[in-house]
Amino acid sequence: MTQPVTIIMIEDDEGHARLIERNIRRSGVNNEIISFANGTDAMKHLFGADGSGLSQKGNALLILLDLNLPDMSGIDILKQIKENRYLKASPVVVLTTTDDSQEIKRCYELGCNVYITKPVNYENFANAIRQLGLFFSVIQVPPAAP
Amino acid sequence: MTAEAQRWRAFWPILLFAAGLLVLTVISAGSVYLVNKARDDSKWVLHTIEVENQVNTLLLEVRRAESSARGFLLTQGPDFQSDHERAVAAIIPALDKLTRQIGDSPAQRDSIEKLSAAIEIRLGQFAREMDFIKQGQTDNAKALVREAAAGTTTTTISNFANAMIREEERLFRLRSVNADRSQTLAASLTGIGSGLVVVLALISIWLLRRSASIRDEAETRLRDANLNLEAVVDERTADLREANNEIQRFAYIVSHDLRSPLVNIMGFTSELEELGGDIFRRVSSLTHVPAGGPPLASGEITLEGPDKQLSEDFSEALGFIKSSIAKMDRLISAILNLTREGRREFQPEKIDIREFVEAIVSTLAHQAAEAQAEIHVEPLPDIVSDRLALEQIFSNLIDNAIKYLKNGVPGEIRIRGRTKLGYAIFEISDNGRGIDARDHQRIFDLFRRAGTQDKPGQGIGLAHVRALVRRLGGTMSVSSELNAGSTFTITLPVAWNASTRKPDR
Repeated sequence: MTQPVTIIMIEDDEGHARLIERNIRRSGVNNEIISFANGTDAMKHLFGADGSGLSQKGNALLILLDLNLPDMSGIDILKQIKENRYLKASPVVVLTTTDDSQEIKRCYELGCNVYITKPVNYENFANAIRQLGLFFSVIQVPPAAP
Repeated sequence: MTAEAQRWRAFWPILLFAAGLLVLTVISAGSVYLVNKARDDSKWVLHTIEVENQVNTLLLEVRRAESSARGFLLTQGPDFQSDHERAVAAIIPALDKLTRQIGDSPAQRDSIEKLSAAIEIRLGQFAREMDFIKQGQTDNAKALVREAAAGTTTTTISNFANAMIREEERLFRLRSVNADRSQTLAASLTGIGSGLVVVLALISIWLLRRSASIRDEAETRLRDANLNLEAVVDERTADLREANNEIQRFAYIVSHDLRSPLVNIMGFTSELEELGGDIFRRVSSLTHVPAGGPPLASGEITLEGPDKQLSEDFSEALGFIKSSIAKMDRLISAILNLTREGRREFQPEKIDIREFVEAIVSTLAHQAAEAQAEIHVEPLPDIVSDRLALEQIFSNLIDNAIKYLKNGVPGEIRIRGRTKLGYAIFEISDNGRGIDARDHQRIFDLFRRAGTQDKPGQGIGLAHVRALVRRLGGTMSVSSELNAGSTFTITLPVAWNASTRKPDR
């Protein structure tokens, strides 16, 4: 049976989170969105209390990740997700203000699926998010590792 | 060490030299004087002996005359007579000579006068004796001889002669002492002078050795100071590099973090704009319900009076906010790019600059054609440098030259180059609108522009170019006059390598 994909949004800026959510909804994606304003909470949710990620076994997840978090680096989160056997199949979309080519390269090396720079120009921003929504609607999230 | 002491140190050898010269002069003069004096004294000593001799000679002649006269009296031999005559003839010249010799001493003059008188008397006696003998009055002659022998004349003569000899002996002693003293003085003077010269020489040697040791010490200190200076320079350079990195990190973080709220401002402003549109559409639909007709199609907003004014004010305010945000975003992006450039490590490589510049020119050909500008690339020296940095430098400058031409005047842009003392000098000159001398510094400042603001731009290009040129170990300058074109000159090392300026760590 196909399980609806849950969107996990790790974004410390409330405004950004709100704008992203709004635009995802506008693009017609109605999947559940769970927001986290800091890395620690998000990690707890993703990896469970024991840190093994077993709690997410079998769940289809799509992770929206900001790199600049107050308590930890988004890069670390990305790395841990991609190293965890239950989570590594979940697509990760890095959505951040950083447009440094070194950083983009590093994210792709670590296994990020999409890297989006938040443009200040709102039209472009909204566009990017809506296209992401389109991407969500067609993406086939593989069943998580058994 | 104070300046005063240094002056003294420099003064010492001169002083010593002068002292040595003075001593030598004094010794020489003193020696000459004393030697002369000694010679004089000796001469006087000799003179005394001569005078003594002369007195003795005179006495001897008188005695000879006396004895020959007696001999003649006894024998009447002509031998004695001629002997007597020779002796008598010798007495007067001898006396004259003596008188001349003792002209210097008044006491002796007195004596000689008396002696002369006595000798004259004696000579008179001799003459009479000889006359008596010649006339055969032997008895008379004998009586005269006896009388003379008993008389005082002979005694007087010997007395005065002896007195003179004594006097001369006294003078001799005196003059000997004088001569001795002069010689001793000359000897002592020479001795003292030599001693002084030796002492001065010793002092000179000591001073020389001391200054040599001071110089050695100073040299050592200088070498140490140099080493120290290098260490200090390295340290400072490291500090500066650290500070520079700090500033870049700071600029990067600040500009980066400023962007985050800006996304929100822009996002929600756009949301507001949409909301505003919705509100005014709603207002319009509430106020303009066409009588009996269908409601207005959505999207058409027809407002009247104060409502229209409100809507316009709302849009205007949002417009300003949005354009300001856009501008701020451009500025932040510019700073981000600059810091990113500042962090990039250069890769020096050999570049055929002429080919390289022509490639840049060809990418700008379209803009050049639009501005009716001709670009002439003259032969340029090849250099070793960072390709990307050079591309940004040249394309910025050529782009500027095309951008700021005079309206309606066909542009002429020239790129020249030459090398000088290990540096390549490139000149990019145009016949464009030029830059006021007041703005020559300003144009290199970040976000600053000059002249008529009729072209798009942020005021970043030249700041960026200059930063790059500096990082490549070069310098950059402009010479320009308003309405008379500009020439930008870049000086770059012919062979840049990492050691010319260590890459930022």
